[in-house]
Amino acid sequence: MKRHLSVDDLARDSRFARVDFRERFNDPRPVGGRGGAYGSDASKRGPRQLSPERPGAPDAARALMHGIFVGEIQALEGAGRTCYDFDLGRTSSDVPYELKLDMARQCWDEARHCEISVKLSEWMGTEIGEFAESTFLFEAACNPDPVLRLTGVNRALEGLAIDVFNTMREFGTVSGDPVLEFCEDWMLADEVTHVKMGSDWLRRLTADDPERLKRALEFQSVVDKLFSGGGFRGEEEDSPVRLARRFRQLAGFTEEEIDEISGLSREARREAEAMRAAVAGRN
Amino acid sequence: MPDPKKPRPAFAPWDRRELPGAFDVEETARRVGNYKWIEMRLFEALGGWVATVPELDVKMRIGTHCYKHAWHSELWHKRLPELREMNPERLTMPANDAIVEFCEAMTDAEGEDKTLEKLVGVYRVLIPHKIAAYTYHLNNTSTITDAPTIRSLKLALNDEFEDWRDGEMLIQSLIDGPEDVRRAADRQAYLEEIMVRAGGIAGPGSIGTEDVAAKAGAASVVGGA
Repeated sequence: MKRHLSVDDLARDSRFARVDFRERFNDPRPVGGRGGAYGSDASKRGPRQLSPERPGAPDAARALMHGIFVGEIQALEGAGRTCYDFDLGRTSSDVPYELKLDMARQCWDEARHCEISVKLSEWMGTEIGEFAESTFLFEAACNPDPVLRLTGVNRALEGLAIDVFNTMREFGTVSGDPVLEFCEDWMLADEVTHVKMGSDWLRRLTADDPERLKRALEFQSVVDKLFSGGGFRGEEEDSPVRLARRFRQLAGFTEEEIDEISGLSREARREAEAMRAAVAGRN
Repeated sequence: MPDPKKPRPAFAPWDRRELPGAFDVEETARRVGNYKWIEMRLFEALGGWVATVPELDVKMRIGTHCYKHAWHSELWHKRLPELREMNPERLTMPANDAIVEFCEAMTDAEGEDKTLEKLVGVYRVLIPHKIAAYTYHLNNTSTITDAPTIRSLKLALNDEFEDWRDGEMLIQSLIDGPEDVRRAADRQAYLEEIMVRAGGIAGPGSIGTEDVAAKAGAASVVGGA
């Protein structure tokens, strides 16, 4: 059995269709689908924030929920591969036994999240495969350095999951959907645990290797900025997904680290706005 | 009101636990080290397979089972220092070369069209052998001196039975005609043959041999039972 799979090795049934990450975030479809909500034509978009008043809010929530579902599948696959891809040991290409145990625990949690997501998507009126899958999470889980893998997945992407689940939980509260609120609350609790695992292992495995710590945090910054997706996640009032400061603190992020993510999100938003202005100028 | 000072037997009439057991500390540590090794290979394999299985229900089940076996390995890891093995890694080893060969053969089913082979290896060969070895250990160790191992065996066995049923039902749901029946049977026979050579997950004597039975008899004499 080979080690270190690529995204192309991920096995899916016939319902799933893949799209490139950029395709997904730049989908120009008008209001009504996720692409419309976050698409490139600002005049056709409603408010950015996910709220019941927003035009097409139910579809946007369904699309986001489907995105969470495929993200959970990849998180399950990524944690599973970390159980298998590395030998036990103390060198930089090995992992401690206890790290594998944590990853196995995460497998169970992510499998449960897949189950929750399937049930919740059914509840929201979505079929598996109704929206496309982008494989960005598993791409971060392909990093051959276990520390970078955990930093990219557990701190950056599971950190994003904290923000998304918190946003969805609040959407469930204000839209009067107790099932959505209940499920997101449970998944949020697990994600805080996973991010804390990432934070703890990052510190333990780089305690005597500041250069590796630097590389890992740089990798995390790249992933964090990528998934701030033109301001998709941020601290502005109209950010579709709000940075969940309190839960990130529980998960082992320092105030400075949270400020840095907030700054990256603002930067990503400015860049996206400049890009849109340039496109509008050409037309 | 009963007199609290009235002498009572140390063992209540319903408490039938006895001292004699088939395994001394050293033999118990050896077996526990073998158990930890096989549980590790199993949780690693299940974790690795999750990404290569297209069937969504199977993917989620083996992701769940992955953790159970990791937890069993941790139970055994924590038991080893209590059995005078202060370096648990030293005894975390396969029973013999054949069990290593078995694990390699079990995990050689890799492609996304090999779900049936993957499941048969785990749920029709390995887990039944684990249940057998754990049950043998449970039924032959001292119910007084080795109570901590008994507790771990019972916890692990509970998971093994549940997972065995889950896995068997998944296999039955994937078998859809004579060709699949043959595939499953061939795979089982191939892996079972290697497991037989290994003598079980803890090597020869995994579920008892004449030697082990003789030892158990001797221990009974020593224990006076």
